[in-house]
Amino acid sequence: MNKKRTLLFRVIAVLLLIAIAAVMLVIGRGHTVYFDNKAQTETGESFEAPYKVEVYVDDERVAKLYEDERGMCTNIGQNFKMVLEITPEKGADPYTVSVGLKLPYNMDGVIINLPALLAGQPASVYQSEFIQTIPEETEEEEASDDMGNIDMGEM
Amino acid sequence: MNEKVTFKDKLKEKVESFGLPRLIIAGFLLLLFILSPFVGADLPTQFTNTINRFSWNAIMVLAMVPMVHSGCGLNFGLPLGIISGLLGATLSIEFGFTGAFSFVGAILIATPIALLLGSAYGWLLNKIKGGEMMIATYVGFSSVSFMCMMWLLLPYHSPNMVWGLAGKGLRTTISLEGYYNQVLAKFLQINIGNLSIPTGTLLFFALLAFLMWAFLHTKTGTAMTAVGSNPVFAKAAGVNVDKSRLLSVMMSTWLAAIGILVYEQGFGFIQLYMAPFYMALPAVSAILIGGASVNKASITNVIIGTFLFQGIVTMTPTVMNSMIHMDMSEVIRIVVSNGMILYALTRKTEGGKK
Amino acid sequence: MQEKKITGKKLLGLLRDNSVPLMFVIICAICIPISGFSPSYLLNEIVTRVGRNTFLILCLLIPIIAGMGLNFGMTLGAMAGEIGLILVSDWQIWGIPGMILAMIISIPISVLLGTFCGKILNMAKGREMVTSYIISYFINGVYQLVVLYMMGKIIPIKHFSIKLPRGYGIRNTVSLLNMRQHLDNLLAINIKGVKIPVLTFIIIALLCVFITWFKKTKLGQDMRAVGQDMQVAKDAGIDVERTRIISIVMSTVMAGFGMIIYLQNMGNISTYSSHSQIGMFCIAALLVGGASVDKASIGNVFLGVTLFHLMFIVAPAAGAHITGDSMIGEYFRVFVSYGVITVALTMYETKKRKMKSRAGQQLEEDQRKEEAEANE
Repeated sequence: MNKKRTLLFRVIAVLLLIAIAAVMLVIGRGHTVYFDNKAQTETGESFEAPYKVEVYVDDERVAKLYEDERGMCTNIGQNFKMVLEITPEKGADPYTVSVGLKLPYNMDGVIINLPALLAGQPASVYQSEFIQTIPEETEEEEASDDMGNIDMGEM
Repeated sequence: MNEKVTFKDKLKEKVESFGLPRLIIAGFLLLLFILSPFVGADLPTQFTNTINRFSWNAIMVLAMVPMVHSGCGLNFGLPLGIISGLLGATLSIEFGFTGAFSFVGAILIATPIALLLGSAYGWLLNKIKGGEMMIATYVGFSSVSFMCMMWLLLPYHSPNMVWGLAGKGLRTTISLEGYYNQVLAKFLQINIGNLSIPTGTLLFFALLAFLMWAFLHTKTGTAMTAVGSNPVFAKAAGVNVDKSRLLSVMMSTWLAAIGILVYEQGFGFIQLYMAPFYMALPAVSAILIGGASVNKASITNVIIGTFLFQGIVTMTPTVMNSMIHMDMSEVIRIVVSNGMILYALTRKTEGGKK
Repeated sequence: MQEKKITGKKLLGLLRDNSVPLMFVIICAICIPISGFSPSYLLNEIVTRVGRNTFLILCLLIPIIAGMGLNFGMTLGAMAGEIGLILVSDWQIWGIPGMILAMIISIPISVLLGTFCGKILNMAKGREMVTSYIISYFINGVYQLVVLYMMGKIIPIKHFSIKLPRGYGIRNTVSLLNMRQHLDNLLAINIKGVKIPVLTFIIIALLCVFITWFKKTKLGQDMRAVGQDMQVAKDAGIDVERTRIISIVMSTVMAGFGMIIYLQNMGNISTYSSHSQIGMFCIAALLVGGASVDKASIGNVFLGVTLFHLMFIVAPAAGAHITGDSMIGEYFRVFVSYGVITVALTMYETKKRKMKSRAGQQLEEDQRKEEAEANE
């Protein structure tokens, strides 16, 4: 009886840990979000870029983009909220747009084309994946020395 | 039928006395030797490398013997002896000895230092009977890190040894070119094609090993063994336990000092600072691979162990590299050598203590 | 007169028992003015380091209760934590969720390694410390096998920022930029330029509460009994071997968590060397706090971590000031760490021997008395 109960508790504990792990996998997924303020032309249609866009995330300005500029910020989780302060023409009055979007789980870096987004296009148009180019490296890194090298690194 | 059983028993006994891990390691080495021609490695070269490395390291492994005999356990404090050897080497160069004389000079200078440090170390180990191995490890570590400061601070001036720019502080590696590089190895060296045997170094080791063997058969030597196997009995028989242990520690420290000098003459460089730090572990695992245990070790164990250990160290990289294009030798060495020490530590100590 | 003598003796005893912390107070007292650091800088550094290291040091306490000495095998937990962090940073799980996930991943690895370590230590009773010390090297070899050869080949690793250019194996350093100090900065408060990582301290406090509570549980009491006398504990019906294994497993799991907290503060992993010195430094810090091989309290941990790291900060600068060579101070602090362990171990062993011989004498006397009585 007692043994059964212990086993049950253990199984519950393991399941609980797995559940927490699963939750962490979802809510902890980090993305780097890049904002492009340039005309989107790939899909054939063209969306004009505004003169200046300022991007605010959590009331903090993360990017101030003139035409053909790119900014970036990081986000943990798939829900991404930002506030865009857009100045369509030089000297014109800015207006703000609050945007909330879903980032795809499997993308490390997400490029968001702001003009396309503002034009109300679907995700497939304004979103694309940022592929990091790997700098070619020739240096071979070696394992640490024999029995564990003494490393007096910072403690 | 009956005979068969006895044969089987005998075989089993043989295997047991030889030790299963040892058998596996020996088999592995044999496999490496068999494989090496097939993967394109030159067997005589491989063999030369193994013999060379054997000759460099054997004396440091021999240094384990006296302390195991007197019951002080494995000498994890080997770096202390190595420090004495390094002091001897650097001072000999500083005093302007060159060529073969620098080797003799190094030995002569290292000896009193080793005996002095060894007696202090032995005194300490006598105060902490039962906890020798752990404290020995840390005595070694502290002495190495202490000497790291000293190498920088001691007033060495020889331009071959100090940093060129600052003009003070010893370099991390010092070339022995013009000093005692290969001084023993070149003596009576045998060269057949790719095979070369460093006869001098081997003879030097043989001499020390013979002296050790002879010592262990003197009255003092047998008394030392008695102290190791049964201290209570030894005490009752009138042996001065503490003195015996002290002597064994001093011998071990001195042998380590000589051992590092021989290693340097083969290797061609003096390595200072952190280099002696982990030199105890290969020596410890070598003697254990050779069949020694925490309280039993013989000259045969030293020879077999050093050969097996160094054989694996030299052979694995070449064979592994050409077979699977992956140099896993480092990892194998760490796992094998430490695994061997673990195996020895978990054995129940036979005899003496229950 | 008599009383004076006794108090004098007591004072002397007190001095002797606390000689290591006192020595450190003196070293620090000498080095601080020479180093020339401002008090606020020192305070800031100390607070950071206490937050960073205390969790790791606390994990040493449980094996000490169980009489297994200083657990050099805590390195095993550190390696498990590192494997968790490497995987998490490949999966791009950031921030505190990433830490929690890494901790969860480290648990099974720690339990496995801890059980292995505990089993081996059961085979090497009386030599636990040196054995756990060698185990840490042995497992380091296995760790290298996994991280350097299996990761990327058998265990999928996607990102080239952490993978070696050759296609398998992990780079020498793995950046934890997206996790760096996330725990410390959450709820952090700033008092006169000193940043206090409140959440980290809360977690440490919780662990302290847990350890104090654990000592009072049945299992904790069993451990203490095993630590005092294995034979007696066995006669009392305690499963000695199992209790010892549990104590090591707990220590290993906690070390894994501690390593994750430590590395999140550092901001990057030195894949092949982060763990190698951690055991040594933690043990040295604990001993500096006045702990010994068989007795250690939470107070020792805090005193030790403060004094040890104070020395760690000021020694290089002081050494550079005195000798004009910055390396001297670096070597000096390494020397002091090793020296402290050597001294503390020596003191413990001599004390043990003295106790033993005293007990032996007592036994002899008792026997003699008994014999005399019997003769009468």
